[in-house]
Formats: sequence, C-alpha cells, structure tokens
Amino acid sequence: MLISLLFRIIPPVLLAGVAIALLFLSGCSTSSIVDEQKSSSVKLELAPGQSIVILGRRHGSSYETEPDFINCISNNIANTARLSVIQEQVFLDAFYPWFEPRVAPLKLPPINKVLNKPIVAKKIKKLGVRYMVWVDGSTEIADEKGSITCGMTPSGGCLGFKSWDKLSSYEATIWDLKHLTEKGKVKVDSKGSSYVIGVVAPIPLIAQVKDVACKGISDRLKGFFDQ
Amino acid sequence: MKSISIFFKKNIVLCLIATCLSIQGCSTNVIVAGEYPPALVQILPYNAGLVLNNVFTDYSFTREKDDKKITITLGESQTELLSQIFGDMFLKVSRFQAIPQAGKNDLDLLIVPHIEKLQLSMPDETSINIFEVWIKYKLEIFDHSGILITEWFVSSYGRTQTRFLKSQEAALNQATISALRDAGTQIITGFNEIPKIRDWINQKTEPSDVN
Repeated sequence: MLISLLFRIIPPVLLAGVAIALLFLSGCSTSSIVDEQKSSSVKLELAPGQSIVILGRRHGSSYETEPDFINCISNNIANTARLSVIQEQVFLDAFYPWFEPRVAPLKLPPINKVLNKPIVAKKIKKLGVRYMVWVDGSTEIADEKGSITCGMTPSGGCLGFKSWDKLSSYEATIWDLKHLTEKGKVKVDSKGSSYVIGVVAPIPLIAQVKDVACKGISDRLKGFFDQ
Repeated sequence: MKSISIFFKKNIVLCLIATCLSIQGCSTNVIVAGEYPPALVQILPYNAGLVLNNVFTDYSFTREKDDKKITITLGESQTELLSQIFGDMFLKVSRFQAIPQAGKNDLDLLIVPHIEKLQLSMPDETSINIFEVWIKYKLEIFDHSGILITEWFVSSYGRTQTRFLKSQEAALNQATISALRDAGTQIITGFNEIPKIRDWINQKTEPSDVN
C-alpha cells in the first residue's frame, strides 16, 4: 500500500535518477595495494624465440585461481609489452599431465623432477619457455547486504537495494627455468563495493575489482621484463 | 505509464508459469563432452589390451535428491580419455569389448577399467560455492597369461566455480571433465610407481617387438 502510494506521488524515473546520483556520489569504488619483491634490479630478458607462460594455482581446497584472470594477465602482457606469452590452456594441454593441479610443482627445486624428464625438457626447449609465472589467489564476495524484489510492486518493476564487497588478492611468482631461480614476486590486493538498486528496473553499479587487480599485477609483471 | 504496468504484469504471469513448470520438472541432464590432450609421456615398449565393455562405454550416473534429478552421461567421454592416454603410454594398444582369451594374442598386458563410484556436490550443499565431482575407478591389470598383476584404484576429483559458467549443465560438464583429466593425470604419472607394476616391468626382460 505504502509502496503503491510512493510510486503515485513520485514518478519512478525520478526515484531512479535520485538513487543513481546518490550512488555515484558515495559508492562503487575500488582500491588497490601492490607489493613487489625483485631478486635483482636487472631487467629480465627474453631472447628471440623465448616466451613466458602464466599459470594459475589450483591446488587449494577452498578456492582456485580463475582461468579468466590468468587469461586477462596473459593478454595484457602479450598485447602491451610485446612479449611472447603462451596461453595457459595451450601450455597445460601441451605438457599434460605434468602441470595439472594434482602434480604441478609448488616450489622451485621440485620442478627439476619434471624438467629432468627428457620428453618434457625437449618440449620446453621446442616451445622456448624461459619464464614461468605462477599466480595464486582469488576474488571473493563478502558482506552482502539488502535484497531486491522484482514483480511484486503494482507497477510490475523492481524494488529494493543490494550491496556487496568484492576482495581480490593475488600473488605472482616468476621462475626462471634456465637458471632455476626465483626472479621476483608481485602481490596485489584490490577491493571495492558494488550496488544494485531496484527502482522499476534493476540498476547495477558494479565495481571492477578483478579487472583492477589484473591490470595492477600485469603492469608490475611487465616492469620485470626488458621490453 | 498504464501500458508499462500492464506489460510488466503480463510478463510476471508468464514468468510465474515458467517457474512453476521448471520446479515441477526439475531435472538436469549432462552429456559430458570434452577433448583430452595427448599425454606427454615416454612410451612403454609393450603391447597392451584395453577392455572397454558396454557398461563402461555407456556409463551414466543418476542422482535423485530433494525432487531434483541429475543425470551425467560420461561413458563416451571416459572411453575417449582412456583410449587417448593408454594409446600414448604404450607402443601399441588394442581395444576389446570383452576380456580376450589369454595366451591367444600378442598382448603383454591387459587393462580392464571399471567405474566404481561417482559422487557429486552442488554449491548449495557445501559452504564453498562450487560444483564438485569425484570419480573412483578400478583398473584390473593382467599379464599375458591372464594372471592378475594388480587391482589399482584411482580416485579423481574435479570442480568448477559457479560464477564463471552460464548454467548448471555447463558447470557439471566442466567439473566432470576436470575429474576425468585428474584421473588421466594419476594413471599416467602413477602407472610406473605401483610396486607390482614396477616389479612386472623389472621382470620383463624382453619387451615385445612390434612392427
């Protein structure tokens, strides 16, 4: 009854406009924190024919690094830094099963066990894989509040408000497969709040938290290499 | 404004009818479709026989819980996987539908896989928002004279995060493919590690000479 009265007094379009204006003033923000460690200030070089591969960690029990996030980093680096990057799925298929979640080496020394297999070493050489970047982390949704109901109002539209926070936390570690050493680490934490307001139609205002994290980690990784 | 209201009301009625219908006939059917890469593995110089009977090649899993029926048909996909990986692991692989008579062929080994169990977990059943699939296989491995070398149990696991996929079917398909890939990983990396297989390889002084 009250809702019906509200819709009669104030036109829904005006309500929507006010809500959007309020949200733009207050929310939908993202912030990012980057931490970086380098083993040396010398830039990493890729000789002609050599390439980098970026792989996601998927051994954890409660999360796995999202394949689309790895593709985002790979594409960012390949497109803007002109570095040769092997796509994750192409690499995993080419080296099946040696980098599958169950058997992928978690630390640098045990990778010798895999690289010492002649058939694997031959393929690494053939594809020119020089650096392997392992990315570990995920994006989680936290602190969901509110709700939206659609179709229950007299006008048949949506009514309500919903908000949530997204937290992205990723760490990338660069391995040099030639010298079997760790060349550096980059850690990016990013967070933001998203909102959906339901006034006639649901109006989403989504914080691009994962995209910010992807850009942050890609930019830092590019900084390691001589481009 | 009145016409907009009528439009929404009509659509709401249609949506409610569709929802009621979908709740009544709530079933999920997945025919697992995946491609498996060739295995990067040193070829073992043996002639192997792979017995894939109809129970295995036509295998379908069904679960009915809380008026929800889920069917996963993975016979074809698991047949493709095992044919692929054993084909890459051995010098020669012959496929059979039933166990051939021992001693009347040039086989060094005969592998008979069975699917023992499949379990799945939906996002609303666990605290983590993912689809999970477990598959347990039993591989019976016989020598050329039909004597059982070992029974090898392989328990594989696959999962998918829901938010990346458009439908429940797509999520279950991907989780099952992931579990099948994991089974392949264990078979390839673990075959030579099984003590009885290792002993058999050590005893086999003269590998068969094919071609």
